[in-house]
Amino acid sequence: MSHLWDRLAEAKSRLAPVQSKYRVLFEDPTQPDAPAAVLVPDPNWMAAALEGNILPPIDTYLRDRDVPDGQPKEHPYAEPIGAMTEEEAIEYLIQKDIPPQVWRDYQGNRSVLKIVPVELIPSDRSFRNAWKINQEMEMAA
Amino acid sequence: MSILSVSNITDGTDTVETGYVVNGSAKAWVNFNGTGTIAIRDSFNVASLTDNSTGNYNVNFSNSMANTGYSVGSSVDQISPYPIIQAYLASVQTGLVTLNVAQPGTADYDTTSVHGQVSGDLA
Repeated sequence: MSHLWDRLAEAKSRLAPVQSKYRVLFEDPTQPDAPAAVLVPDPNWMAAALEGNILPPIDTYLRDRDVPDGQPKEHPYAEPIGAMTEEEAIEYLIQKDIPPQVWRDYQGNRSVLKIVPVELIPSDRSFRNAWKINQEMEMAA
Repeated sequence: MSILSVSNITDGTDTVETGYVVNGSAKAWVNFNGTGTIAIRDSFNVASLTDNSTGNYNVNFSNSMANTGYSVGSSVDQISPYPIIQAYLASVQTGLVTLNVAQPGTADYDTTSVHGQVSGDLA
């Protein structure tokens, strides 16, 4: 089995980047004063996710979170998974790159995570440090 | 994928160990627009970017680094009238690096071109 980094290098030479039409808004409940963050999928990563047979199973990343620094990690050597849809790729990315206290452990009533079309992200970054997820928008959806 | 397994590379005159090439290669890099709706222009070994706040971004790797002892180079474009805007290394983890774009001692800024490059050992 080739190393993940080698597969990514080969994929970049072969696949056209894919700009996702989604962004993920989230608020970390452990940092109530922090503004909402926006997760932006990488176009080369998205191309690899849609192609299949490049990225490892998400479980390997989750297990590797508990591996101490300097110890061997599982995800670079894991058998790659098949092609994902863009929606499945976004769900994969949420688990990989957003802290578990947001998508797994949070039990409050406020909405702290929302997948939105990129057009709904404000292009004017005025008051960026005060951005919060619009709860009224969530109620109306 | 074919694999060429050699210990040295030569052009007939100069010879270099493949270890120098592998160890000297950037393990991840990214170029993104930190203004407007944040967008990644190009990258390698990056899964996503997290726009945390003004001038503060996580670069999330696809293939993690082996440890946090890796090296990060970063730069930004110049913003008039702030000639000394810099990209700082805010923190490192094996799976991500946080870049902070700011003017020393003052405020954080969003800039149109933020660059980051990582060298070190892969997981």
